[in-house]
Amino acid sequence: MKFLGTPLALAAVLALSAPLASQAQEIKAATETKPSSKYGDMSVVTQDQLNRAATDSSNFLQTNGDYRQQRFYPNRQINASNVAKLRPAWIFQTEIKESLETSPIVVNGVMFVTTSFSQVYALDARTGEEMWHFTPKMGPITTFCCGPNNRGVAVSGNLVYMATLDSQLIALDAKTGKVVWKTEIADPEDGYSETMAPTVVKGKVLIGTNGGEYGIKGFVKAYDALTGKLVWTFNTVPDKSIGVWAEKDPTGRVLHRDIAAEKAQLAKTGDPSKTLGGGVWQNPAVDLDTNRIYFVVGNPSPDLDGAQRPGDNLYTDSLVSLDLDTGKYVCHFQYVPHDVWDLDAVSPPVITNVADKDGKPIKGILHAGKTGHVYVHDAKDCSLIRYSEAMVPQENMWVLPTKEGARMLPGANGGVEWSPIATNPSLGLAYAINLHQPMTYQVQSSAYPSGKLWLGGAFKVIPTEEQWGNVTAVDYNTGKIRWQVKTPQPMIGGILATAGGLVFTGEGNGEFKAYDAENGSVLWHFQAGAGVNAPPSSYAIEGKQYIVVGAGGNTQLDYKRGNSIIAFTVD
Amino acid sequence: MSLKILSKMLIAAACGAILTSGAVRADTIEEKAAVCSGCHGEKGVPVNAVTPIIWGQMEGYLYLELRDFKKGARKNEIMSGIASSLERDDMLALAAYFAAKPWPNLNQPSASDAVTKQAATANGSIGCTGCHLDKYQGTGSVPRLAGQNHDYLAKTLADFRSGERGNNPGMSSLASATSESDLAALETYLAGM
Repeated sequence: MKFLGTPLALAAVLALSAPLASQAQEIKAATETKPSSKYGDMSVVTQDQLNRAATDSSNFLQTNGDYRQQRFYPNRQINASNVAKLRPAWIFQTEIKESLETSPIVVNGVMFVTTSFSQVYALDARTGEEMWHFTPKMGPITTFCCGPNNRGVAVSGNLVYMATLDSQLIALDAKTGKVVWKTEIADPEDGYSETMAPTVVKGKVLIGTNGGEYGIKGFVKAYDALTGKLVWTFNTVPDKSIGVWAEKDPTGRVLHRDIAAEKAQLAKTGDPSKTLGGGVWQNPAVDLDTNRIYFVVGNPSPDLDGAQRPGDNLYTDSLVSLDLDTGKYVCHFQYVPHDVWDLDAVSPPVITNVADKDGKPIKGILHAGKTGHVYVHDAKDCSLIRYSEAMVPQENMWVLPTKEGARMLPGANGGVEWSPIATNPSLGLAYAINLHQPMTYQVQSSAYPSGKLWLGGAFKVIPTEEQWGNVTAVDYNTGKIRWQVKTPQPMIGGILATAGGLVFTGEGNGEFKAYDAENGSVLWHFQAGAGVNAPPSSYAIEGKQYIVVGAGGNTQLDYKRGNSIIAFTVD
Repeated sequence: MSLKILSKMLIAAACGAILTSGAVRADTIEEKAAVCSGCHGEKGVPVNAVTPIIWGQMEGYLYLELRDFKKGARKNEIMSGIASSLERDDMLALAAYFAAKPWPNLNQPSASDAVTKQAATANGSIGCTGCHLDKYQGTGSVPRLAGQNHDYLAKTLADFRSGERGNNPGMSSLASATSESDLAALETYLAGM
């Protein structure tokens, strides 16, 4: 552990670093949270605070900023005129040097971050001083597709919520890091695991599941926030998953399905819903006005072999809306029916006001796809209003995977991977980070392997072709690209826009940059020494605004690993 | 008698009296584990080249393999026989026991720069480290590959490729999508880590 701070703070951390014998198994260096700022005496997070997160210029209360997931931070103290003076305020080094995908949550001067292998740290957001460190006791079986990642915590009341690689949902005491309750979400031996941050709203903890590469049956579940008791379950794959035998995607491209063969398979083996995948591993957007949630559902299992899963494979690769209270279906929109490329829907959706087809302002939903399009929907019925120009090259879509391998762009990571987008509502822009990673798609059929990796083939990066990434600003009211900046490597991690006219995002080579929100000019950059592949957050303490981001590299793209949480301020 | 059958008999013989000592009659975890050392080695160094290191291997992985041997999803004459007498709790206990042991160093030679580069390119193409993690150390249900017995790695990847080993179709797909030359580079590189 190492951080930059005052000698006094260092001494305090050293004093705290001896494990308490009575809590040695699960809690390390736990102690009472000391008030570290003028906000420190506010001990609980109220639902009203959570509802108003979008206008809270001191805290960062939710994984994607606010319930609408706009990732637009309202504080303008750090802005285009002074961002060149942004400097590290402190660096905290976690004990885990592996992929960091955490969105730091900041509440009343305390920051909560998570690391790979489902560990949680509480830090003094002013100094980076460690307050407590929670290491869950996990069972022997942990599965994942793309690294032992964790994307963060949710906060409500005096509890901190997180989920583990072995599929536990855990509520911790925010002040001490002690377990208040925990429950098993699903059996890890069947391929279920957790990497997402939960969402807490109106007394419920919402959580999905990983496992689209393991033949799970996906879901979103709601638990009672105080007791951990299950309230409702929505199966992302309904018992009738066939759909309408769509022959084209919503952009009009032909999917080249052999519908007759699929129908013959259906007659032979029935609806494939039991092992069809459909993970949900990104946070839902919550519409507090209508009491609805909106989330995206991941790929069908097995990824590349459609022969044994006839039909559209509902609701994989879809935007889905539910009633928050009951978990009942409201509407859905499928981006890629019967996907055999893993070009699924993973970047979290955003609720914002958009222009409808007549130019009239309505409540809309944005989703940035692995396909390279930003899709704009009507929130009322999930219908598609428009989709953006492609942000990355698209070639040979939708050629079917072959035994030898068929080249198609985008590669299976996108376009936009899980990386959350940011928006600037006053500019009407959505900011997305993209990958250009040419791949071939190979199919190889195999039977369901009971919770083991089940790809149905392989997606292979073509080593001889150039890879790159970009940061793209899309006008979601027209679908036009406003500006685009190319980066030397494919991008993954996330992005933050601020009222200071800035956009922050990082790269696999360690660069963390501030862009001008209007035109994409690079206004500031910092070399973090390890891949910056996590979504940035922002907060303010004692009148001073900070930007914070994890630099831990990325397992999936094999970007240089690190273990730093870095907070910046203008100094 | 085919060479394959002869080879299996020789392996069984080399592993000593494991099949007669009987896992069923063993009571403590140490007694149960003693059966395993016949092949996997007293100090964790396997007695022959196609037997894997299990000392220090990932706990979840060891459990799942025992489970699959018992279910018949993974086939091996010796291991299927041993696993058939184990209950789930035995398997979990054995997995925990061996996972806690230190990984032995087989002192296999490091790969040349050219082989290392070829292995890195192959990894960049199919993403081995996406599951086996940086430095191929493994975690949970994903096995450590760094420093594993070279001939076991070679046999395993060949078996994944041919379908002879059928308990991880994801690995079969990835091994099939990789050229034999790239697999050979990976095996040499991993063994020498």
